[in-house]
Amino acid sequence: MTANICVKVQSEAFAMDDGYENTLHQRTDVGAVVSFTGLVRDFNETPEVIGLTLEHYPGMTERTLMQIGEQAWQRWSLQAVRIIHRVGYLGPGDPIVRVLVASAHRRDAFNACDFIMDYLKTQAPFWKKEHSHQGAYWVKERHPDQQDAARWESLVDGPSH
Amino acid sequence: MQLTHLNTHGEANMVDVGDKRETRREAVASGRIMMQPETLQLLSDGALPKGDVLATARIAGIQAAKRTHELIPLCHALALSKVAIDFEVDHVEGCIKVSALCKLNGRTGVEMEALTAVSVACLTLYDMCKAVDKEMRIEAVQLESKRGGVRGDYQREPAPIVTGEGSAGEVSLGVRCVSPCVRVKFLAELRERVGQSDVAINLDQLPSRDVAGLKAALAQLDTRFGVLSDQRTLCAINQVMANDTSRVTDEDEVAFFPPVTGG
Repeated sequence: MTANICVKVQSEAFAMDDGYENTLHQRTDVGAVVSFTGLVRDFNETPEVIGLTLEHYPGMTERTLMQIGEQAWQRWSLQAVRIIHRVGYLGPGDPIVRVLVASAHRRDAFNACDFIMDYLKTQAPFWKKEHSHQGAYWVKERHPDQQDAARWESLVDGPSH
Repeated sequence: MQLTHLNTHGEANMVDVGDKRETRREAVASGRIMMQPETLQLLSDGALPKGDVLATARIAGIQAAKRTHELIPLCHALALSKVAIDFEVDHVEGCIKVSALCKLNGRTGVEMEALTAVSVACLTLYDMCKAVDKEMRIEAVQLESKRGGVRGDYQREPAPIVTGEGSAGEVSLGVRCVSPCVRVKFLAELRERVGQSDVAINLDQLPSRDVAGLKAALAQLDTRFGVLSDQRTLCAINQVMANDTSRVTDEDEVAFFPPVTGG
């Protein structure tokens, strides 16, 4: 089966359940859908985040997300992969990223969704600038994110914690 | 150009602004205080003995703006309509950048108020942190912009990295690119640090035709490009991740950027 992967990088808002109906439309072979939606928190490096600006590297971003989707596709038995990521200015509570994975069985969908988020956070060229009452600053990379992504390197199916 | 605070005898003179028309005045000043990375970390963690450093410095800056006339001999007392102080904690440069905005509907400029606010905010930062760091340095206190008044608006120009275009076979900056050359992009925090987003550089300028050579050639151009040698700085050639030994060829697009933080 050709890889059913769709990647979108956009400044427009998207819904919490984006891609759900569209992916399942007139399909009865899907046994499991796992999705992850990441939201803007009102606290992070400072206690009161009033918004953030997301910058990316157009072209490389889409290509990287597609490659991450393809890696997941090769690794697990999947039926659909959707990755959507916002750029530009976002306020607290706004959905920022959404990954949806459909497969015949839940374990593949859980693992693939987890994998895609881990790789997205450490490889896709996005940068967050947080705005707070103390001023604006660029968010620093987090070591735990690197560790999360590294879990997948030595594993065939999924990580053990 | 005449100095307004001196009269015809060269004596100090407070300008009579009674006949001037009231206009909207605005000024932005900036400055920074350099400190040890450890001090900056303690400050970010809220672990300094005197408590919330930035909140205290902000209040100090606002108060100082309002009292500028008490400090600077020939300044008028002004009923400022707005004072805002902003801080940017810069872990890479090891400093806190301070900026102050002052506004007024009145007959005299507010740049002294903005400059005083930045100065006193910096002094307060020093006072709040001096228990753990005595090496701190206050620097680059300057006017960024002002609006309103008879002399018109002012906007500080960012210092150019290289002035003008290079002659044939030389380095040229900006979008123009004479073959063989590479286009270099700086993204996110790195773009702000370097002060521009795009540079074109002739391949003949590179001591070696790889990323390390490109970094060396850029560093030769301007010290600001020294940040490219930082271990955190990542690189992509034609949108594919690369490293110092990756080859650079004619017409390549080379991007430098900090570690990614999406998701």
